[in-house]
Formats: sequence, structure tokens, C-alpha cells
Amino acid sequence: MDESKEQPAALFQRTGTSALPDHPALIGGECLSCGNVFFPKQRFGCERCGSVNLKERTLTGRGKVLTCAKVHEHRSSGREAPFTVAAVLMEDGPMVRALLDPATADVTNIGDMVVTSLVPETRPNRGEFDIRLTRAVR
Amino acid sequence: MGKLIGDLRPVYVIGIGWHRYQYLSETSYVELGLKAIRDALADADIPWSEVQSSYVAHARLGMAVGRPMLRHLGAYGQPLVHVENASASGSTAFRHACIEVASGISDVVLAVGVDKPSAARTRASTGIPSLADDAIVPFTQFALLTNQYAAKHGVKPQDIALVAVKNHSNGALNPNAQRQKVRTLEEVVEGRPIAGTLTPLQCTPVGEGAAAAIVASEAAIKRLSVDAGRAIRVLSSTAGSETAQEPLNYDSALSRRIMQQSMAEAAVASRDLDVLEVHDAFTIEELLYAEATGICPEGRFIPMLKEGAFNIGGKCAISPSGGLLACGHPVGPTGIGQIGEIVTQLRGEAGPRQQRGARTGLAHMVGVGAVCYVHILQK
Repeated sequence: MDESKEQPAALFQRTGTSALPDHPALIGGECLSCGNVFFPKQRFGCERCGSVNLKERTLTGRGKVLTCAKVHEHRSSGREAPFTVAAVLMEDGPMVRALLDPATADVTNIGDMVVTSLVPETRPNRGEFDIRLTRAVR
Repeated sequence: MGKLIGDLRPVYVIGIGWHRYQYLSETSYVELGLKAIRDALADADIPWSEVQSSYVAHARLGMAVGRPMLRHLGAYGQPLVHVENASASGSTAFRHACIEVASGISDVVLAVGVDKPSAARTRASTGIPSLADDAIVPFTQFALLTNQYAAKHGVKPQDIALVAVKNHSNGALNPNAQRQKVRTLEEVVEGRPIAGTLTPLQCTPVGEGAAAAIVASEAAIKRLSVDAGRAIRVLSSTAGSETAQEPLNYDSALSRRIMQQSMAEAAVASRDLDVLEVHDAFTIEELLYAEATGICPEGRFIPMLKEGAFNIGGKCAISPSGGLLACGHPVGPTGIGQIGEIVTQLRGEAGPRQQRGARTGLAHMVGVGAVCYVHILQK
């Protein structure tokens, strides 16, 4: 695979962090004024304090499921139902909402740990890969 | 420290009106809006020429829709403001109408909401992507919150669906409701699955309609010989937006803060509330927002619902209009329609859906953003 092919929106990178090298890292940010860690990366200003003194920070991609729900009906183009969405509290701090890996979605419950995994992107003009959250092996 | 509505001149609702909420039709928005405004004028028994200013709430009609509607009441040159604040557009228009009267700038002001479903108008891109921006829509978010609440408090999906059964029953008694049919629990839970345990009858219908409220000062009530016995005082008008502290259930956290602030402003306690109209676009929302008022402890809504505490005739009637689930959510009118229902209840004019002895009511809306508006009215 071509390492230079990043997602246009730069939500994640194929390489992991040193803490979790085998799973793609999410690209978030950190406020250098108040310490707030956020996702996704943005340069407009910190939601907590308003500072524009921000830096990029990669997140491990591991977190705990706060809640999840299977979507049976969805009208937006590009996403074919059914799929399962989850709200996950990442171990770095931010809450992220993302799709669960279909392979483990039906056995993923509130309180479970999940990690990022790469899947082929099926939507046009979104790059080569997309992210799913997969139930972590205990 | 700024001033509160209660620190300024007293404000009263003197007239209310609706065009029934309904599924999309060929009726123009002008006709919808004029019906509600003329009914509100007739209810107040004042002529249009006495209305000194207008706030027009809508979210789906495009730019500057008010003038082509209001001109047919007689174009007298009064000021006109358009208000868009997502689901809270109507509540926002009502708040600013109240502020204009309370401040003394005007004596009689109209808040009208009118809307029709139209081609999807999505917000322009913020330039910040997300992992699931095309997978999360409102019902997805509330399916997530439903599952979270159910797991935390050990309730079943059928228990949460009881909210829809209650509200459809109330809506069947409301001639302005979009859905006017009693539904059984089986009908609610056996509908086609949408997301999580949500089914169509647990989701609000977004149709068309209009609602209007005329607010006035005491001086105007005397000068225009308005029936003071039917005028309902606006005790508090409170608004806020979300903080960065609650990323998942932001609507509930925000609602709790604004509701508590509004009750403090009105000097009423949750036990004083006889009638609630909350933003129940999805069944789970009624639980979350009712608990946010403090009328029941967190996690206790379902047992009290089963006891009938929130039915018409119970401890506190919640969504006696049918709520957004049955009355509907045409967006622009919704918050003003809630005010109309509270006024009807506090006047004792709600007929078969009357909460006996109702003296104090609270109306609550949230809007994408998130924003929250709460009004407390008292007889």
C-alpha cells in the first residue's frame, strides 16, 4: 500500500501511536492553553477556552463504548444500512462517534473496549481507507 | 449582571392561534400563517393595527418569508424580524417578542411560526470533518441515548415506548395535532425498525403548519379592553447554548441547566409544575427532559409513567398536546404551539385534554447547535 495516500480530511493515519502501534491513530489536537484534547483536528479555536494555541496530537484509537445502536434505515447516500454506530470515550479524552466493524458489531456492548481498524473506503472521493471500531480482544 | 424578564414589565399572552399541523400539502405557507395569526387576533379580540412588531419563525422556507404573508393583514409598516434557530426557532421568536414588551419598546407584539417541509437544506460545511458525518442523523443520536438510558436504568424498550402511547392518546384529543389516533403499545413497538429500538411512532412527524402568540403589556390589556381573566403571565424566559463539558448527551445537560435557571427566575419549584410541553421529538427525549426539570429523580420516570403520574389528570401532565410525537414538529411553529397549549391549559380551555386545576406550565425546546429555550407561564 502507498504510505503517502492519506485521507483528504486527515481524520486518521495508517500508522499507530507508540502506545498502540498496530492500530491506526486518530488525528486530533490539543490546546496548549488549557490542555483540552479534542478530535478531530481543527485550527479554529479550542471549544473549552477559545484559545487558538493548538497543536496536532495523535490519539491511540482505543476507547470504551458509552453506547451503540444498530441503524436499520438510512437515507444519506454513501452509507448502506444496516450498520452500527457507537459513541466511544477514547482513552486520550475525547468522545468519538464512529461506525463499528460489522464483524464484531453484534457482540459489542456498552462498556466494551474497542480499537480502530482500517477498512477499504467504498464512498467516492474519500481516499483509499476508512475507519471502523473493532471490539478489542480481552 | 443583566436583567431577567421578571425584573422588567410584566408580559402576558393574550392571543393564540394555529393552523393545524399536517403532512405536506399544496397549501401555501402564507395561508398557513395567516390562519394562525387571524385566530390569535380573534382570540385576543384586537385588530391587526394594534400589533406593533412581529417576529416570524421558520427554518425551511428560505429568505424573508414574513412580508409576503403579513402584508395580507394590512401593511401598516410595523417592524418585522425573521428568526431561525433550528427546532427552537418558534421559542426564540416568542422570547424576543416577550423581551420587546417587557423592555417597554412595544406594548403588543406577535410571534408567529410557519413552516413547510422542503428540499433538504443542510448547514454549509464547517470545514471540520468527522468519522461518521454521513451516518449520524437525529434519530441515530437518540437511538444511542435510548440504549444508554435503558442500560443504565434497567428499563426495556417497551417501557420507553409507553411515552409514545401516552402522547398519541393525548394527540387524539387535540384538533391541531398532526397525528390524532390512539395507538397501542403493540402498534408502537412493532413498527418497522429505524435505529436501535426506535420505530416510526416513536419519532416526530415533520410536517407543515403554523402557530401564533400575541404578547402584551398590562397597559395594552387595559387600553384595548382585553379580557384580563384569559391573559396568561410569562414568568420567565430563559435561553442558553451547550458547553464543551458534555459531548454525548449535550441536550439533556443543557436542558437541565436552563430549566433550573428558568424555575429560579420564575420562583417556582418543579413540584409547582402542572403542565409540561417538552421537546419530545423521540420518546427518549421526554424521559430525559422531564427528569431534567426535577419532577422525578433520574431513572424514575418509567415507574412514575406506569403509575399514571404524567397522564392528563396525573401529578403533572406531560405533553398534553400530544407533544412533538403526536402533535408534530413543523419546526418554525413548534415552540409557539407549545406556548399555545400551555396557555389553553392554564385558561382551563383544553376541553377533553384539560389538566384540572392547572396553574403553572413550562415549555421547553432544544435546537441543533445545541440551544435551549424554556418559558414558564402562570395563571
